[in-house]
Amino acid sequence: MTVPIPAAPARSLRRRLLGVGRDQAAADRAVLVLHDVTKTYPNGKTALEDVDLVIPEGDFVFIVGPSGAGKSTLIKLLIRDELATHGAVILDGQDVARLPRRQVSMIRRKIGIVFQDFKLLPTKTVWENVAFALEVTGTPQRKIRPAVDRVLALVGLTAQRDQLPGQLSGGEQQRTAIARALVHDPRLIIADEPTGNLDPLISWEIIQLLLRINDLGVTVMMATHNADVVTALRKRVVALEEGRIIRDEVGGIYHRVD
Amino acid sequence: MISFVAFSLKRAWQGFWRNALMSIAATATMVLMLMLLAGFWILRTGLQAGLDYTESKVEVVADLKDNAKPAEVADVESRLMVLPEVKDVHYVSSDEALARYRQRLAEQGEDDLTQYLNDNPLHASLEVKLDDPSVFGNVVEQLRGEEIVEKVKEQQKTVDSLLTITNVLSTAGTVILLVIAFIVLFIIVNTIRLAVVARAEEIEIMRLVGASDAFIRWPFVFEGAMVGLLGAAVTLGLLFVAAEPIGNFMVGFFTVLPLRFGTLTRDLVVLVGGAGLGLGILGSWVSVRTYLIR
Repeated sequence: MTVPIPAAPARSLRRRLLGVGRDQAAADRAVLVLHDVTKTYPNGKTALEDVDLVIPEGDFVFIVGPSGAGKSTLIKLLIRDELATHGAVILDGQDVARLPRRQVSMIRRKIGIVFQDFKLLPTKTVWENVAFALEVTGTPQRKIRPAVDRVLALVGLTAQRDQLPGQLSGGEQQRTAIARALVHDPRLIIADEPTGNLDPLISWEIIQLLLRINDLGVTVMMATHNADVVTALRKRVVALEEGRIIRDEVGGIYHRVD
Repeated sequence: MISFVAFSLKRAWQGFWRNALMSIAATATMVLMLMLLAGFWILRTGLQAGLDYTESKVEVVADLKDNAKPAEVADVESRLMVLPEVKDVHYVSSDEALARYRQRLAEQGEDDLTQYLNDNPLHASLEVKLDDPSVFGNVVEQLRGEEIVEKVKEQQKTVDSLLTITNVLSTAGTVILLVIAFIVLFIIVNTIRLAVVARAEEIEIMRLVGASDAFIRWPFVFEGAMVGLLGAAVTLGLLFVAAEPIGNFMVGFFTVLPLRFGTLTRDLVVLVGGAGLGLGILGSWVSVRTYLIR
C-alpha cells in the first residue's frame, strides 16, 4: 500500500508537529495532520479532545466508534465546516483554520466526500450530478466532459449515465456519489458511513471500489460502524470514544482486544 | 469572468423554471407589493400636488385707495419685489376686479346684479404671491406702511391652519410610504428566502464539492433579480392597462392641479423597476448569506 512519494520540502509548521512523536518522513508525507485538536461546541459539549492523528499519503484508515464519539465532528473540522477550538488541522500542508475565506473552497476541492445518504440532486442525471461538481467550481466545459466520462468508467456507471438517481439502486447511487467525489482528483476521500444504507453484498461492492481507488494512490478515510468490513480488511483502525482516540493500530479489527 | 456570468445566468434561468411554482409565487408577491407601493406613490403624488397648489394660492392682498396714482402703485410694486420672500406682485385694477366678480357670478349661474350699479364700488388691489407662504409678516408690515394702501386683508389665521394641515398630511404621507416600503421589503425577502431554502440541499452540495462563495451566491442573486424585474414588468403593465380609466377619473378630479403625467410616469417606472430589482437582489443576497457564513 506504500506509494513512494517524494518528500515535500519541509515546512516549519510541520517540523513543529514532529514533537508529536511521529517521524520526520511520515509527517512530510502526511495528507492530514491533526495536532492536539479539541472541539467544544457553543453549547458546552466537547466533541473532540486532544486528538493527534497523522494520515500519510496513500493510507486507508477506518475511523470507528459509537455514535456521538466525534466522527462527524472530525469530518466537519477537515472540510472546515467547523473550526477547532484548540489545536491545528493541517491538510496537505495547509492549516485550514488560517486559510483566508476565499481559499476555503480550494481546500475542499482536495477532499472528496461521500455520505451515507448520497446527497445526489434528484433532478439531474448521473452524468449531470458528477459534472455539477466541476461546473460549480468554474471548470471549463471542454475539460468537464472527459473528466466525467473517466470517473464514470472508473466506478462502472457508464451505462447508467443518463438515468436519474431515483431510477438507480442504492449501490449505484453511492457509486455516483463516489464518482462525484473523485472528479476533482482529490488528495483525500472521506467516506462517512458510506455503507450505512446498503445491504451487505452491495456494501462489499462499495468497499471494493474504495479499495481500488486507494490502489490508484488516493488516501481514503472511512468512518463506519460495519464491524465485519473493518475486521476482515485488517487496515489501519482509529477508534474514537467520547471525543478521544482510544486506539490507533495498523491491521486492527473493529472491537478492542484487551 | 464571462463564462462565470454565463454560468450564473444559466443557473439562474434553470433555477427559476425548475422551481417554477415557487418562482411564480415569489413573482406574484412581488407584483402585489409593488402595486401597493405604486398605488400609494400615485396617491401621495396627487396629494402633494394638491397641497402645493393650495399653498401657491396663498397670497397677501392689499386694497388700494381710489386716489392712488399709477406711478405710486409702481413704486410700491418695485419695493415689494425686492423682498426675498416675494415671488410675484400683480396689480388688479378696479375694472378688472369688477370683471372677475361678474365672471364668478356667471359661473355660479347667478344674475349679474352689478348692472344696476352706477359706478364701480370695488377697489383696485395688489396681490402678492409668496415663495414660502409661511413668511408673510414682512410683506404685511411693508404694505401697512405704504401711503396708498387702504387696508391689508387679514389672512393669517386661514394661512396658519392651512399650513398646519398640509404639513401634517405630507408628513403622514411620507411616513406611510416608508412603512409600506418596509413591509414590502420584509415580505419579499421572506418569500425569496423560501425559494432559497427549498434549494438548501443543492447549496450544501455546492459547498461540499468546493464551489466558491461567488459561484453559490450569484446564480441566486440573478434569480432574485429576474423575479424582481419580472414582477416590476407585470406591475407596470397592469398599471398602464389601468391608467386610461384611472387617468380619466383623475383628470376630472384633479383638473385644477398642475399634475404632470409625464413626470409621474417616469417616476413610477423608476420607482417600480428600481424597487423590484433592488428587493429581488437584496432578498436573495440576504437569504444565501445564511448558508455561506460558517
